[in-house]
Amino acid sequence: MLARAHTFTIEGLHARHVTVEVDVRRGLPGFAIVGLADAAVREARERIQAAILNSGYEFPARRIVANLAPGDVRKAGPGLDLALACAVLGASGQLTPESLERVALFGELALDGAVRPSRGTLAVAQSTQRAGLGKLLLASERAREAGLIDGLQVAAVEQLCSAVRVLGGAPGDALPPQRAAARTIDPGAAGSLTPNFPTVDLAEVVGQPHAVRTLMIAAAGAHNILLSGPPGTGKTMLAQRLPSILPALSKSEAVEVTRIHSVMGASILALAASRPFRAPHHSITAAGLLGGALRGSLGEAVLAHHGVLFLDELSEFTRPALEALRQPLEEGRVAIARAHHSAVYPARFMLVAATNPCPCGYAGDGDRCACSEADMARHRKRLSGPLLDRIDLLVNLQRDTSRDRDAEPLLSSAEALRQVDGARARQARRLAGDGVSVNAHMDARMLARHVRLDERGERMLAAGRHGGLLSARGEHRVLKVARTIADLRASERVRARDVGAALALRPDVVLAGSRVA
Amino acid sequence: MSSSLQAPNASRGACLRCLRRSWLLGQLSGPLDYCARDRTRLIDLLALADDELLQAVAGRRAGELADRYKRFQVDEHEQARHARICRHRNGYPRGLCAAMAPPLLEVAGGVERLAKLAAAPVVAIVGSRAPSDYGMETARTLARGLTASGVTVSACLSDGIAVAAHAGALDTYGESIAVMGGGLDVSCPARRRSLYERVKSAGCAVSELQHDCSGRRWGQLAAERIVVGLAQLTVLVEADHTPGELAAAHITQTLGRPLGVIPGRVSSPLSAGPHALLRAGAELICGPSDVLELLHLPDDRPADARPPQQPMDATVTSGLPPELKETLARVGGGCDTPEKLMSLGRDPERVLLALSELELLGLIGRGDGGRYLPRQPLAALG
Repeated sequence: MLARAHTFTIEGLHARHVTVEVDVRRGLPGFAIVGLADAAVREARERIQAAILNSGYEFPARRIVANLAPGDVRKAGPGLDLALACAVLGASGQLTPESLERVALFGELALDGAVRPSRGTLAVAQSTQRAGLGKLLLASERAREAGLIDGLQVAAVEQLCSAVRVLGGAPGDALPPQRAAARTIDPGAAGSLTPNFPTVDLAEVVGQPHAVRTLMIAAAGAHNILLSGPPGTGKTMLAQRLPSILPALSKSEAVEVTRIHSVMGASILALAASRPFRAPHHSITAAGLLGGALRGSLGEAVLAHHGVLFLDELSEFTRPALEALRQPLEEGRVAIARAHHSAVYPARFMLVAATNPCPCGYAGDGDRCACSEADMARHRKRLSGPLLDRIDLLVNLQRDTSRDRDAEPLLSSAEALRQVDGARARQARRLAGDGVSVNAHMDARMLARHVRLDERGERMLAAGRHGGLLSARGEHRVLKVARTIADLRASERVRARDVGAALALRPDVVLAGSRVA
Repeated sequence: MSSSLQAPNASRGACLRCLRRSWLLGQLSGPLDYCARDRTRLIDLLALADDELLQAVAGRRAGELADRYKRFQVDEHEQARHARICRHRNGYPRGLCAAMAPPLLEVAGGVERLAKLAAAPVVAIVGSRAPSDYGMETARTLARGLTASGVTVSACLSDGIAVAAHAGALDTYGESIAVMGGGLDVSCPARRRSLYERVKSAGCAVSELQHDCSGRRWGQLAAERIVVGLAQLTVLVEADHTPGELAAAHITQTLGRPLGVIPGRVSSPLSAGPHALLRAGAELICGPSDVLELLHLPDDRPADARPPQQPMDATVTSGLPPELKETLARVGGGCDTPEKLMSLGRDPERVLLALSELELLGLIGRGDGGRYLPRQPLAALG
C-alpha cells in the first residue's frame, strides 16, 4: 500500500517542499529511505520505529521503502520525522492516506512519540502557504511562530498520537502559555540576533559632537561609515548606539529578519522588533562572514540583514574576508557556490567599521605615535582598496582633552531617531518608483535625476574633479551623502553647504598623514 | 689610461683610475661598514687616496687586494648598465670637485641630464628618517617651490624627509637628483621602487659604487656627502639631536657651504637638531623664497632689510572670503580638526564647508589622524 505526505527541508533561508512517499509491501522486513537523505534523515528510521511502537501503533514487519521526492535535492535535518512516521502509518492502514493529502507535517520525533521543535519553522510556514497546502502540523513550542503568517491554519501537536487525531479531524493541542515578558525574541538568548545591550542611548556619549552628527547622517541615508581614532575615543560605543537611531523594521523586513532568526533556531514568539547588530571578531574567515562552510550555515553578513554589521579593528581582518564583503555591499545579497550546493541569501546591511589611524593607534596624537613608515604603509595598504571604496563617510575621532564631563549630550536617541525617520520618509517618497528606499542605494541614473545641485555646489564638485581629489565613484558618494544631509535639513534642494560637508566627510585612503610619496 | 681608450663600452666617460677606485670601494664595502660606526672617520677615510685607503681598512686582505688592484683591467666586453662619468671628464658636476667627493659616478637618467641638472642651482634637502607629518609636508612644499623656480633638488632616497623632497620635486618638473647608498637599481628598497623609477625618468639617480654592489650602512652616510657636495646650499628639515640625523648638516659646515634650517615645533623632539643649528648661526628658512634669496644674494643685505617673513604666499590668501581666511588662520594656529573648530561655537556645517573649500583650493590637506595641515597650493608656485 502507498501513502504520500508533505513536508519541508531547510535550504539556506528557504524551505523546500518534499513529498514523502512510503510503500509497504510483502518481503523481508526492513525500512529503507531513498532520495538523497543526509545522516539525520537516515537516522530517522530508528526514531520513527521507536516512536510508532511507543505511541501504541504497530510498526509493520514488512518491507518498507520511503522515497523523498524530488530525488535530486539533498534533504537535511530531523524535521522530516513526523511526515515519515505519518506516511508509514498511512501506508500500513492505521491512518487514512487521503487525510495526508492537504496537510504539511514538520517536526522531529522523540523515542516516546513526542514531537520536538525543529529550526526554520517560519520559513516552513511561509512555504506551506505558498505551496497551497492550507494546514501545517508542528510541535506546539513553535506553533506561535508559524502563526505569524497570515491565513495559514496551524495545528500544534505534542505527540504522534495527537497528530493522528488531528489528521482524523480533531482540533490541535493547546498552545503553551505565552510568557508575559517574551513579547519578542529574547535579547541575548542563544541564536538571537538582536544586541544584548538594548537600552543604550546616544545621550550617553559625552563629547564627540562631530562624530554623533555624522553617525546620524549615516543612519539617515543608510551610508556605510568608518570610524577612525586612537583607542578609547568611543568608536565602539558609537557603533553600538547605531541600532537605536535606525528606523523600526517594516512588516516585510521584520518577516525576513525573523525568518533568519528562525533558521538559526531561535525560539520565536513574535516578529523581530529591532534591527540585528552583528560584531564578528576580526579573526573571522570569509566563509564565516558569508556562510556556506557547512550546508545551510549562515554567515555574519546574512545575519546582519536589515541591520548593522560592525567590523571593529578593520585593518586586522584578513584580506579574503574583506574582499568577500564586496558582493553583499554592492548587491545586498550573498551568492554562495560550493561543491555540492549553491544558494543566494539576502544580505543588505549597514557597514560600520572602526580602525586605529595607525598600528599603535596614536598617529596625530602629539608625539605618541611609535609607528615606523613601513608600519604605516602596511596599515594603509590593508585598509585601502575595494572595501574603502564602498564606504561613504569617514569620521576621525580625536582624544577630547577639553571634555567636560557634565556637558549636555548633543542628542538623545529618540531625538536623533525622529530626525532620521523624517529624512527616511523624504527619501522613500522621492525614490518610490525606483525600487530602492534610501539614498545610499541610489545608482548613477537615480543620482542624476534626484540630486540637483546649486551653482556653487557644482563648482565645488568640478574643482574636486580637476584637482584630483575626487574620482568618479568618489563623486557619486559625495552626491549621495550631500543628498542625505539635505534630507536631514528637510530640504529638497542640495546646496553648496551640503556638498561641502559631504566632501569633508569623504573617506580618504590616507588615514594617517600625507606620507605617501 | 690607454686601456680605457680602447674600451669604449665599459669606460666611456670614466678613466681607468676612477674605475679602479670604484671597484676598490666595492671590495672594501665590508670593512668600511665597520668603520661607519664612527661617522667622521668614515668621511676622512673616503677622502684618502687608494693605497692609503687600502692600508687603512683592508686588514689581512691588504696584500691580496693590492695585488689585484695592480692588475685591475677594464673588462673590454662588459656592457655598462649605466652611464659613468668621472671627475676627469667634462660634465662631472662641478660642485662635487671637493677633496672628499667621489671620483666616479654611475648615472641613471643620462650624463647629459645630470650635467644640465647640476648646472642649475642645486639645493640639498636633508632631515630625519622618521619625521612628523609637519616635516613631510614642509619638505614637500619646499621641494615643489624650488623645482618650480628652476632649482634642482638633491636628496637621498632613503626614508622620511628625503622621500618627501623627491615627491615634492615630482609634483612639478621632477628635476631632482637621487643619490643612492649602493649600486644603482640593486640598492633601491622595494617600497621606493616606484618613486625611484619616477625620479629616473624625470631627473636622475647617481651612485659612486658599481651597479652590482648592494647597499650597506656606510653607503647611506657616503651618499649624504654626495647629496651635500652636489648642492650650493643645504636645507635641514627636522632632525633629532643625534649625530646620525645631523650628519649631512655637519658635512655642509665642514665644506663651508651655507646651511639653511627650517624651524620646528618647540615641543617636538624632532626640532632639537634644527633649533641647535639655528642657535649656532644657521640660516632660517621659512619657504622657497628664503632659499632663492640665499642662493642669489649671498649675505650682502642686513637681516632687517629683507622683506618680512610670511607663512603663506600673500597673493593666494588675499583673495579669500573672510570666513575662509579666518578658518585657514585657525587651522594654521593649531585648531586643526573639525571638532576643535566647532568647539569655538561655529555652525558645524559652515565649518565643514569652509574646510572643504580650502581643501579644494589646495590650501590645506589631511594629516595624521584626520588633522588638517596648511599647505602651499601648486598654482601659487607658477
